[in-house]
Order: sequence, then structure tokens, then C-alpha cells
Amino acid sequence: MLKFDILVIGSGGSGMQAALVASSQQGLNVALMSKVFPTRSATCCAQGGTNAVLKNADPTDTIEKHTFDTVKGSDFLGDQDAIEFFCEHMPETIRELDYYGVPFSRLESGTIAQRPFGGQSAPRTCYSSDKVGSVILHTLYEQCLKNGVNVLVEWLLLDLVVENDRVTGVVAMDMKTGEIQPIMAKTVVLATGGAGRMYWLRTTNPFASTGDGMAAALRAGVALKDPEFVQFHPTGLAGTGILMSEACRGEGGYLLNNQGERFMKRYAPEKLELATRDLVSQAIEIEIKEGRGFGEGMQAYVQLDLRHLGREKILERLPQIRDLAITFEGIDPIDQPIPIRPSCHYSMGGIDVTDYRTCGTDLKGLYATGECACLSIHGANRLGGNSTADVVLFGKVAGKAAAEAAKTLDFGSEQKVNELVRQWENSFSSTVARTDGPSVASIRDRLSETMWYNVGVFRKESEMKKATQIIDELIAEYKKCVVGDPSKIYNTAFVQYTELGNLLLVAKAVVMGALNRKESRGSHKREDYMNRDDENFLKHTIISKQGSQYKLSYRPVVVTKYQPVERKY
Amino acid sequence: MRKITFKIQRFDGQESWIQEYTLDHQPGKTILWALIQIKETLDPSLNFTASCRHAICGACAVRVNGQATLACETPLDKMLKRWESDTLILEPLQNFKLIRDLVVDWEPKAERLAELKPWLMPKDEFNKESGCRQSPEDFKKINKNSDCILCGCCASECNKLSGNNSDFLEPFVFTKAQRFVADSRDKNPVERLSAAINHGAWKCQHCQECVTKCPKGLSPAEDISNLRQEAIAKGLVEHSGVRHAKAFLDDIQKTGRLNEGMMAVKTDGLVKSIGNIPFALRLMSKGKLNPAHMFPKPIKEVAEVRAIILAVKESEKARNIANAKRSEAHTNPDIQRPKEAAK
Repeated sequence: MLKFDILVIGSGGSGMQAALVASSQQGLNVALMSKVFPTRSATCCAQGGTNAVLKNADPTDTIEKHTFDTVKGSDFLGDQDAIEFFCEHMPETIRELDYYGVPFSRLESGTIAQRPFGGQSAPRTCYSSDKVGSVILHTLYEQCLKNGVNVLVEWLLLDLVVENDRVTGVVAMDMKTGEIQPIMAKTVVLATGGAGRMYWLRTTNPFASTGDGMAAALRAGVALKDPEFVQFHPTGLAGTGILMSEACRGEGGYLLNNQGERFMKRYAPEKLELATRDLVSQAIEIEIKEGRGFGEGMQAYVQLDLRHLGREKILERLPQIRDLAITFEGIDPIDQPIPIRPSCHYSMGGIDVTDYRTCGTDLKGLYATGECACLSIHGANRLGGNSTADVVLFGKVAGKAAAEAAKTLDFGSEQKVNELVRQWENSFSSTVARTDGPSVASIRDRLSETMWYNVGVFRKESEMKKATQIIDELIAEYKKCVVGDPSKIYNTAFVQYTELGNLLLVAKAVVMGALNRKESRGSHKREDYMNRDDENFLKHTIISKQGSQYKLSYRPVVVTKYQPVERKY
Repeated sequence: MRKITFKIQRFDGQESWIQEYTLDHQPGKTILWALIQIKETLDPSLNFTASCRHAICGACAVRVNGQATLACETPLDKMLKRWESDTLILEPLQNFKLIRDLVVDWEPKAERLAELKPWLMPKDEFNKESGCRQSPEDFKKINKNSDCILCGCCASECNKLSGNNSDFLEPFVFTKAQRFVADSRDKNPVERLSAAINHGAWKCQHCQECVTKCPKGLSPAEDISNLRQEAIAKGLVEHSGVRHAKAFLDDIQKTGRLNEGMMAVKTDGLVKSIGNIPFALRLMSKGKLNPAHMFPKPIKEVAEVRAIILAVKESEKARNIANAKRSEAHTNPDIQRPKEAAK
């Protein structure tokens, strides 16, 4: 049986950081497991940059400013002690990445270049053209090669194994052989990413972002925190949802309605296009709703205009953006405005991390980091450039803590994990044998329509009640759905079936959190409760699962220096 | 309704076969759209990998009518027009171990990638705590090759790999190596250069397939050339490839044309060349090698050829001097930079 002191699941920026840190310690047996080859992970999609107070582009920038910008950006739902820790440790983390070889863009002085980003009081977003996620991901992969990190490539997480109130391992499928395997581990780090695919085509997320770790945590009795906070990125391509980086606005791009008006001046007179993502997304949807967009229904959009930046700046700073617009919309931003619309981009909520210093959860031995985790540093709205930052810093934190803890723990019993393997083997056989029932794609499409129309940028009670009912129906139908491929070898139909099950579990938590949060805060915009309500809702939603029932509770937000004030940009 | 037929190579771990699927034509779609349509509406047992759907994760490379490409960014209509046909053949990448259908195994490639130590070996003046320094010009030298997404298109169409992969590595491995050789923060370009030479940098056939297939517009073949030149500049000259290149240049300089008969002798030495005589005779019998050309006369325009060679050498020299000055200015903090001083 495979046995590791530390098992890291997910090979994006956070997972690789965790595996690198853990495996740098002597005498520990570490494995990194991923359902994709490491460089395919969602981190590669990040474009614009990574926030850290390096003071390269603006010597007056401070950690306090970054902290306050993040607190304010979070609409005061972020835990301020965690945010302070985050901002304080980012500069050293970026310098370390530089030392690892990340090809950052540079200033004349030779230091790392920094650009302005939404909701920030200084240019502190470290960038590499418009591909920072890709280069960070590849650099970390290079470090994994260098350090000989043991990678289980194309292994799918099926379940966490819990025994005597601690995690003792996982059940996973080796996709290449189809074997369902027991893996024992003293500690497990979940770094499995977000769940944006519950909005299927209206998301910037890759196909792999299906909330596998969040769902596994729920099944293992670990709660999700603030799942209702889903970030809609203002500028997804109208047709496909593909991301047009915030760098487009950071570099000076305009947002225009069908009157040719820079409508952001009515919503955020000072920051204009560089207001936070929640506000810009909501503004775009209002423009569309009030008839000032282009096109209709699902096809409606507004324009992102880069033409005034000029050919040279577009080619130098936003070359990938230009290629994407040409390839996927047939539009060259040098000559024409780009049609865009908000698209689901990021899960602020996630696995309830109860100690930001370790990324530990309530389940002994289980750690969570990156988008699948909620510390919470992003609160109700994440700032652009804070996700790759979160990933590279807290991956290290989790890896280090998991390694320390593993030194004091023994392996659990083989009996429990073997039992779960047998259950999954039986479930695999009976599932792939079914020939009559709804298809995986049909359930998925109904889920994503339900989420976009009823739990999207704007939300209200009646719609969310409808969504709750539909999701319960879909969960019931899912049990009868047809995979359509009985083979064991690289069965992507079964993988997608498993992923859909995960999305359904997480989506139910998103709707539950959203329905019960009777206020508007950050990305959670209620048409029936238009204002923030600090008296009743300055608190985190905590949702756990017991059997098929979901349980809701709340936990106070940690406030250190910054009392909540009205958010204006 | 216009119908599009896809002939897809299937593989179940043992058997291989071609399966046909037909879709109604829709304008403005991609190859990945077609694969997803087939899986979701016709045959859930068809397997392929894809993730980001915008050409940055590298998961969805397949061959369309024998040309490796990223399925997500390849317009279906463009392919139909290019091939003037409503039938397309989809196959897995070549030069990879096949797992199932269009899914190939990347794990062995990771091992081959590691051969050239593709990670930064930072100069001693830098440290983890304060990071590195690099000029914008030096960043530009590594920016382009940092675009490689490990999709494998170059490896699939590499003729050298298809012929023999035991003494050559995937083109993307050389691109990655070149990225570190060119990185001003790196202290050990020679180690990567000598690894590149030992792993076949002189074996590239210059067919340029990798260049035409790269979805990110990179030029692995040019990177291999650069690695060779850099290796010579760093004194790594004990190689038949170097002798071959030198003999080539000598011939052109002398007469304006190649002396193919003598090329083997100059490259491999007399002893090894004698062993190749039967091969030479076979070439002659097929009219591929003319013994009368053993001692070619200079061409009429030889002076112009020499002038071109001289001009190339001069411009290279000038560029090297400029580069050296620039990188010195940025690695040595004691040298005042005029722009900063002005601030």
C-alpha cells in the first residue's frame, strides 16, 4: 500500500509550494497527487499579476496600505489578523519566487515591475507580461523537478479517510490504470482549487475546477466557510467566458456601454474602471439589464476598449490578451473594442481553515490552501492579484505545518481505508454498468443554468429557493445518471461523473449560504436586501454536512484595526 | 444540413482502430468543441484531455490531419477550408506513449525534461531573501521562451524524434534549456550547454516542423541553433557537429559551394569516413553525389558570398559587445545608471 508522511493533493501553485516545502525537510516521505499533469493546473490561467509591497514602482507603498486595501476589498468580511499576516509575508515570498527563477517583468533598476490593479492604493501587482500564473506554475514545476518531488500524475481524489477524528489517508483512482487505490498519509494538504465550473460556460475557470477537495472535505465532516461568495470577473469574453485580465483595465482600458459612455463614472467616480471586481461586475449587469448593453439574453455584453492604449503598449503589455481576443472573438483589440461580460472567476469561500498560521482545519491532520481553502483573507470580494499571492504564500505555510505535524503522528489503520476502497470499487462497477438514465452533461447543464440565473451576480430569495429545489432534484437524479463508458483505463467519463457529484455538493452549500445571508456584501448582491448589514451579518457562514443534511452556523469576523466603514471607490 | 465527419484514432490500451463520427456543421467552432460534442452527444467513451480552453494549459494538443495543434484554439472552419474537405482525421500526438484514444503519457517526458536541468541556478550574488536583479533587456531575452506551455506539439512532429529518440530530446526541452542559458540570473549556462550537446543538440535536422507547430509562436529549432552557437562560444568545440558546421562555413567561404565528398572527412575524420565508403558509393550510384564535384571551382559571385559572411560576423561582434556592456551594468550595483541618477 502507498504510504506517505505528507500527501499534497492538487498541483497548482499552492500544492507545489506545499510539496516543495514539505519535501525540503529531511526524512519525510512526501507525495504530490494531481488529476492533471502539474502544468495544466488552474494557476496557469492567472494573467495579471501578484500583489506584494516591494515598493519598486511606488516607494510610498506600505504593508498597512496593502492590508487596508484587502480588508476594504473584502467588504470587511476578511479576518484582519489573517490579512495582516498575508500582507506582511508577501514581499519575501515574491523575492523567493524571483530566486526560484520566475521571469518577472523588470523596471530599469532591475527590480520586479509592478502595475496598478483594481481596488488598490498603489501599483503593487508584480507581473510577467500578462502570464504571471503560467510562469509561476512552470517555475514551481521546475523546482519540483530539481528537488525530485514524487508526483502521482493523473490520480483522482475520491474521498478522504477519517478515523478516530483525524485524517488517515485518501482513496484515489489511478486514472491510467483505473485502479482504485488506498493511500495512507499522516497528514493531507488539500490544494485542489475552486469550483467555478458549477457555472459551466459562464466561467473563466478551466474544466478541472470542480471543487473536488471542497466536496471531499464536506463528506469528511469538515465545514465550508462563506461558500456564497463567488467572484464574477467583470471581463470574461462574451462568447466563451474566457478571461481578459484585469491588467486590461490596470493598463488603462475603458468599459463602454452602447451609448459609447464610460459608465463606471456613475458607479465609482474616483476609481472608474479600477474599482473592485464585485462593483464593476454589478455595474456591467445593471447596464445590460437597463438596456445599455449590446445583444440580448445570454448573448448580451458591454465593451472593453483598449484602442487608445496604442499598438505598442498592447503588444508589449497585453500580447496574450490580444491573441485570445483574436482567436476566440475574432477581434483585434488594437482596432476594435472587445465584447465582454462578467464570468464566474473565483471561490472566495472554501474549506474552513481555522488557523491561518498553519492552514489547519478542524479535522486533525487535514490542511487546506489556495482557492479550495477559506482563511479568510478575501472575505466577500478578492482583490485582483491577491489569489496568486495567497497561493504561493499559504502553500508554504500549509506544507510546513503539515510536515511538522507528520513528525508527531503515526499512520492510521489499513482496515478503514481498504473498506472505503471496496465501497468505491463497488460504486464504480455499478455506476459504469448503468445504461438507462440522464447523462452527466444534461445534469451539469441544468446545474450551471440554475446557478447563473438564480445565484449569479444579482440574487433574490424567490430565485434562490427555486435553485435550492432544483439542486436537490439534480442530486437525486445524479444517483441514476449514466456514465456511458465501462472501461477502466483513463475513463474521463467517470472522472467527469465524479466531478459533477462534487460540484453538486458544493453548489448546494453556495445556495444555502446565499439564501440565508440577508444582506448585500461584496460579490453577494441581493436585490431584496440591497445594503450591507454589519449588525446581523458581519460574520462568516459555516456550512457542514451530516448525512444528506446541511447544517448552517456563523462565526464572528476577526477585526483588529479597521472598523467597518462604507465602501466607496 | 452540412455534415462534418471526424475519423478519430481510438485505442483501448491494447487495440487501435479508426472510428467515424458525424456532426452537424456549426460555424465559428473549434476542434475542442467538436471533441466535446462527440463525447457528450455521440460517444461518452471517447477520451481526450483539455482544461483551460484558451491555449495556456497545454492539455489538449492533438493531431488534425497529421499536424499537431491545440484543439481549443484551432478553428474548425479554418481546418475544413485548409484541407478543402468536410472530413478530418484526429489522432493522438506522435512520439508519446499512448494511454487511451487521444490521451498520451507525459510522465516519461518529465524525466527527459529533467535531463537538461531546466531550473534556475541563481548567481552567488543573489539570495532567497532579497531575490535577484535583471535588466528589462535581459528579461526580454527570456520572456519569449517562458511562453512554452509543454503542450508537446513540437515533439509530436519532430522528424528527428520519430526517426530515433535515443540520441535526441524533445524540442521543448531545448527551448527550456535555452531559456536558462539566456537568463542573466543564472550562474551555470555551461552545464546546460554541455548537457544540450550531449543530448543531441547537433542532431537536429532543421526541418522546422517544431517552429511551424508551436502554438505559442516559439522557435525550438532556432533555440537549438542558439545553444550550438553559445556552446562554441563557450569552448565546447570537441564535437563532430562543430567540425561539420565549420567545414560547411569553410567551403562556402572558399568556393561558394559545398564539397560534399570532403565534408564527411572533415566532420568524422579519415578513419571513420573510410567506413562510410560503401554508403558514398551507393549515393553515387543513385546520382546523389557527383565525384566530379570533389574539387569544386569557386562560383562567379564568391566575393559577394564572402562579403555577406564578413558582414554577419561584424554585426554579431557588435551585438556581443553591446550585450556584455549592458549585462555588466545591471549585475554590478556600483556602476551608476544614468537614468536612475537623473531621477
